[in-house]
Amino acid sequence: MTTLTHEHEAHPGRQGPAPPPRGWRRLLYPGLLRAAWMAPLFFGIGCGIVVLCRWWGGWQPIWFGEIIVLVGALIAGPIGFLAGIGAFDYWVRYAIGSPTKPEDHSGHGAYSWRDYFRVNTDHKVIGIQYLTTTIFFFLAGGLLAMLVRAELAKPGMQFFDNQTYNGLFSVHASLMIFLFVIPAFAGLANFVVPLMLGAPDMAFPRLNALSYWLLPIAGIMMLSSFLVPGGAFAAGWTGYAPLSIHQPLGTIFFNMGVQWAGASSIMTALNFLVTIITMRAPGMTFWRMPLLVWANFTTSLLVVIATPFIAGSQFFVMFDRVMHTHFFDVAGGGYPLGYQHIFWFYSHPAVYIMMLPGFGIASEVISAMSRKPIFGYRLMALSLMAILVLGFSVWAHHMFVSGMAPWLRVPMMITTLMIAVPTGIKVFSWLATIWEGKLNFATPMLWAVGFVSMFVIGGLSGIYLGAVPIDIHVSDTYFVVAHIHYVLFGGSLFTIFAGIYYWFPKMTGRQYNEKLGKLHFWLTFVGFNLTFFPMHLIGTQGMPRRVSDYAPQFANWNLFISIASFALGASTIVFLYNMVTSMRRGAPAEANPWRSLTLEWQVSSPPPIFNFDEIPQVVGNPYEYGVPGARHAVLNGDRAATETEVRSR
Amino acid sequence: MRRGSIVQLIVIGVLAGAVASAVALIPNWLPSSASREAGRIDFVFWFVTGICIFVFSIVAAVSVYSVWKFRVKPDDDSDGPPIHGHTGLEIAWTAVPALLVTAIAIVSAIVLAKDDAAGANPLRVNVYAQQFFWSFSYPGYGDKKSDVLRLPVNRSVVLEGHSKDVIHSFWVPEFRQKQDLVPGLTPTLHITPNKVGTYPLICTELCGLGHALMRSRVVVMEPAAFDKWASRKGA
Ligand code: HEM
Ligand SMILES: [Cu+2]
Ligand SMILES: [Cu+2]
Repeated sequence: MTTLTHEHEAHPGRQGPAPPPRGWRRLLYPGLLRAAWMAPLFFGIGCGIVVLCRWWGGWQPIWFGEIIVLVGALIAGPIGFLAGIGAFDYWVRYAIGSPTKPEDHSGHGAYSWRDYFRVNTDHKVIGIQYLTTTIFFFLAGGLLAMLVRAELAKPGMQFFDNQTYNGLFSVHASLMIFLFVIPAFAGLANFVVPLMLGAPDMAFPRLNALSYWLLPIAGIMMLSSFLVPGGAFAAGWTGYAPLSIHQPLGTIFFNMGVQWAGASSIMTALNFLVTIITMRAPGMTFWRMPLLVWANFTTSLLVVIATPFIAGSQFFVMFDRVMHTHFFDVAGGGYPLGYQHIFWFYSHPAVYIMMLPGFGIASEVISAMSRKPIFGYRLMALSLMAILVLGFSVWAHHMFVSGMAPWLRVPMMITTLMIAVPTGIKVFSWLATIWEGKLNFATPMLWAVGFVSMFVIGGLSGIYLGAVPIDIHVSDTYFVVAHIHYVLFGGSLFTIFAGIYYWFPKMTGRQYNEKLGKLHFWLTFVGFNLTFFPMHLIGTQGMPRRVSDYAPQFANWNLFISIASFALGASTIVFLYNMVTSMRRGAPAEANPWRSLTLEWQVSSPPPIFNFDEIPQVVGNPYEYGVPGARHAVLNGDRAATETEVRSR
Repeated sequence: MRRGSIVQLIVIGVLAGAVASAVALIPNWLPSSASREAGRIDFVFWFVTGICIFVFSIVAAVSVYSVWKFRVKPDDDSDGPPIHGHTGLEIAWTAVPALLVTAIAIVSAIVLAKDDAAGANPLRVNVYAQQFFWSFSYPGYGDKKSDVLRLPVNRSVVLEGHSKDVIHSFWVPEFRQKQDLVPGLTPTLHITPNKVGTYPLICTELCGLGHALMRSRVVVMEPAAFDKWASRKGA
């Protein structure tokens, strides 16, 4: 195995891209340079279409800024960028009948840092592209949160006016959700899932590349809304109509940003589904898949079914604004609550899109670092499926006070509370996995166990919110802010960090600094609880959410929370420092530092360009720690499958 | 499991329960209660809190004990016992939470039904929300208008919500009742104030620029004083 790996590395030029041509032809070569002129060109074409249509229709004014921005900057320009960078080259050539090479691997692998800035079809490169991009937007969203906390440190207005403040928390939440949590999980899974399945890549590598390149577009769109007249979108990440229909121009940056990010999610999810269904190594039955794969399977189903609903909701809001339709506008016969139903029909499942992959990561880390099989493997997989199904029947628990049909409240309360059951199964099974294990508290394990404990608190506050009478009191208060942060920060973010530290050696071929990793964990853990736990209290006491100013009785707690949040924000510096220095100077990583059984650890760190030199043969379950002689898979060079292993298939 | 470890587990669980109870009891979690609905809602709140402290103690006991007892040195290469599951346990931790949430659902549904029922001869009040202030009118008193919500104590009140522009939300923490006011709809909310006093009225649905300042007051008065006020002409 190792010899073959080195053979690939000995001929770096062999698979890599052809060197770019010199001179002016370079402008035609796919990449950032070509994107730099194609994006403005397409922008111009978009403007031309708008002006022509308006001139032909006789609509005044012919040059109408809002539509120009929408069509030129938010639709045509990005398409030009994608075309320029080369995301469509293969398909265009195919469509116009030019010769194509289906087995073309010139876009595969990374041989220098430049290869991360082009359309790369290697799932490992794309995984890292995803992760660095999402960490960038995590930092941007985190800085916005710092500004929010600075404003809230004292009652009264400090630094911002109301519209700016509303923009700050709206963009904060949107970036964290659409550009950090959801795609960071997709990035980790992109790197890990094909390896875990014993596959050479994802099923559709070119689609995979395209789904990555949609992300920076969505993120830059949301961030740049701060620059347009009227400021950033300011109706919250929930963008409730009719408020969002009559907001300044920035709102359409949100409407369209969600479309780009959503398209990216859907494409990736389709890719995962096809990959997981069709590209499992021989012997990898569904009941032998690692739970991370199960988690991404269910998440992808959620994404594919639910995401079109948020796409629809944002389109309708935008149509009400630019085309004068009346989906949600009462004056024209619209129905404002319709927005909330459609929005939450996506956004409740979306909270599981933001949590199930984390469940998968926690299962991997906890099993390998407790040196014990996952407790109740099948029930763990089945409870994911139960959450998937139940998750579609609870959306209106976000609407208990909305004025919707009152009879809907009790059924939605029952389904909501029922979700606590499969979720509880997962928590108890992790605890039972740890029980009597040989716990190695390296950094990933700290994050994973920290996740379980914080997620329990978030789950319990969820029970309060699920009980309608309590929710009527605490809905739209800081209690909800505390809840979402216990589940999204203590849940999603902790597992993302667990995953990043756990697979860091595999991704980079180097070991991170363990001391700094632990320091990062403890600073975050303490800072997180000091920041967000008191929010429960001020919420039940009467502080509403999404306010730039509040009653003086909450001043002390808010000052305390703001100070804690700055410490929490500062902990990120430790993480960044660790990542950057370890990537450059960390000790070389072994192939399998955690002595894990799953397939990604059975190849070198980083893995060879096509992952496996020979397709592995899966012979057993992925978590057979402590079972003498048990193997998950047979790779080339290992002893062949035994009689019993073959029979147990 | 040895006798000693069971004792240790229980001790940790009791300690965790004590800490959680202290967190639940020492700060003032809920504002003072000024309506009949609030009393019932607080009951649900403490009922759920009791269950949560119970669950939290078990989880905390198991995790703290495990982290304390089962950690090994980084150079320890041994594996744990290959336990794959335990059907009895798995059934237990499916069934017990299911029972607990069923109990919560039943209690909540009963309280909700009671809170939703208006008492005899309720006072009707129209609540008007608009960016960014509140106003009220009393159809039973010649459509009398007011900028603060005045209510008589111990009489059932039916609030009918109206919004003139975007969605707002009517919330009086001391009443524990909240209702979004949606343009085009007229949702109702039932409150039976039972304590004389002045309480904040807060908009809790983001409604634009002035959302944070969209506040008013509720004044709960003796019935006689209320009648006198309401029968007076003008605001
Ligand atoms: C240093 C870390 C963070 C701090 C200090 C912070 C602070 C805040 C604050 C103060 C709000 C409330 C704004 C308001 O309603 O007036 C908020 C909202 C929110 N945050 Fe964070 N946050 C942090 C990290 C995160 C992360 C990691 C996520 C996602 C994974 C996240 C997701 C959200 C969401 C979804 C909302 C709701 C926004 C809304 O209601 O419109 N936050 N955050
Ligand atoms: Cu939900
Ligand atoms: Cu309002």
